[in-house]
Amino acid sequence: MQRALLTGAVLSIFSGIISVFIVLRRVSFLGSGISHAAFGGVSIGFLLGINPLLTALVYSIIVAFGIEQISSKGRLAEDTAIGIFFSSSMALGIVLVGLSTSYNVDLFGYLFGSILAITNEDALIAVCTTLFLMGVVFVIMKELYFITFNEELAFVGGIKVRLIKSIFLLSMAIAIVVGIKLVGIILISALLVIPGAAAQLLTKRFYRMVMVSCLISLFSTISGIIISYRLNLAPGGTIVIFLSIVFFVAFFSKTSNNA
Amino acid sequence: MKAVEIKNLDVSINSKEILKNINLELGEGKFLGIVGPNGSGKTTLLRTIIGIIKPTSGSIKIFGSIPFDAIQKGMFGYLPQSQKIELNFPARAIDVVLMGIYSRLGTFKWPSKKDIDRAKEMLSIMDMSGLENEPFGDLSGGQQQRVSIARALINNPRILILDEPSTGIDVVGQEDFYHLLKGLQKKLNLTIIMVSHDIGTVTSYVDEIACLNKTLHYHGSPLGALNDAVIKQLYGKHVDIMMHTDLCEKCKRLHSEQKD
Repeated sequence: MQRALLTGAVLSIFSGIISVFIVLRRVSFLGSGISHAAFGGVSIGFLLGINPLLTALVYSIIVAFGIEQISSKGRLAEDTAIGIFFSSSMALGIVLVGLSTSYNVDLFGYLFGSILAITNEDALIAVCTTLFLMGVVFVIMKELYFITFNEELAFVGGIKVRLIKSIFLLSMAIAIVVGIKLVGIILISALLVIPGAAAQLLTKRFYRMVMVSCLISLFSTISGIIISYRLNLAPGGTIVIFLSIVFFVAFFSKTSNNA
Repeated sequence: MKAVEIKNLDVSINSKEILKNINLELGEGKFLGIVGPNGSGKTTLLRTIIGIIKPTSGSIKIFGSIPFDAIQKGMFGYLPQSQKIELNFPARAIDVVLMGIYSRLGTFKWPSKKDIDRAKEMLSIMDMSGLENEPFGDLSGGQQQRVSIARALINNPRILILDEPSTGIDVVGQEDFYHLLKGLQKKLNLTIIMVSHDIGTVTSYVDEIACLNKTLHYHGSPLGALNDAVIKQLYGKHVDIMMHTDLCEKCKRLHSEQKD
């Protein structure tokens, strides 16, 4: 339980930060696409008998940069490229899982999350990776903010746009794979979108938005883990239900304030 | 040294020729207007000057440097045609102005009190005092342009590049805006290049004009651009040009109505 709470807390704070940029850059579908593509990576791990999180990590990074490369060259719209990678990776995953003999319960954990059953080793990897990524994103935060505001202005203003965008994409892909343990492949996109979307309803200042997003993510994750432990519920689903409740409270309070 | 030197510039995008054999020189402290019909390559020319688009052939020098080096030296202040900013984007006017110094600050360094004071001073020059903490998305089109100029100028650029800056501003606001640019040009000895489709208004404010339609049809004194032969070459037919100047009766009337 303590391992789950610590891992969940660190992961949720990082997803709260990344979520702000995902929402402002309008790349929610990219997050969803990478997370579902990770299923292909997980199943490669099952088939080869190596840690599925490692294969998912490599596979997700390749997919993230593949989508970016294809759409940046203007050959395909980004959502079309995501749709193709998303479905082909899921298809690959389904075929490979069919060939594998060692999936059963483990696969369920990757699809829907298994934070309460997290091992010491997995918790250590998740916490260290996330803390490192958090540091990286803090270092490039103001440049990322400028690029999110307007890429062209940032470029002419001397910001290394391609480098910063690549670091962001890499961080997003790694956050998704590490977050799979928390809420699973199916629900990870909720953790990447809802905190930022709710925070945007509550403030018009950037750093406040980052803080509020982190707090929403942290509150929902901790509450979700505790409640699911006490009531024997699925932790991933419970966390996302908490996130959704916070979002709708923010949405309706904003709507009633504007009325 | 010339502020801008463009030699034999050709630009093709996806195998389509957009600009052909552009040759242009501009002295320091001059205000150049680039005019031409829709699709004539005005924005492409600006984007090539600032290094966003790579030329197919030819060369561009900004105070003797190629565009990439000019960017690194902080020579450009830039206002794009459309900023496409989401209404709810979490940025105050002062946050937008401070973005102009992010590159100079370097990684993991944040604006100091001195930087914030400088940003406030820039907003004050743009007549935007008191609006520092207003969300950028809540400002009017004209106010957003003033904030954007403050952002473009905070790093002391040597050349200001503007792409259709008066889009979305009413006729009186446009007149004020051009006056503001003219004042900045004189005060800061700033070189300005501005793209506009409104040849009638631009001719009243710029020192030089370049008439573009894939290639340069005319570059020189603004009044020369109003010559029938140049206009016909540029637009493909005869066009009557309406000039809005300080003496324009309609502008005067709108101005007094707004003051009332």
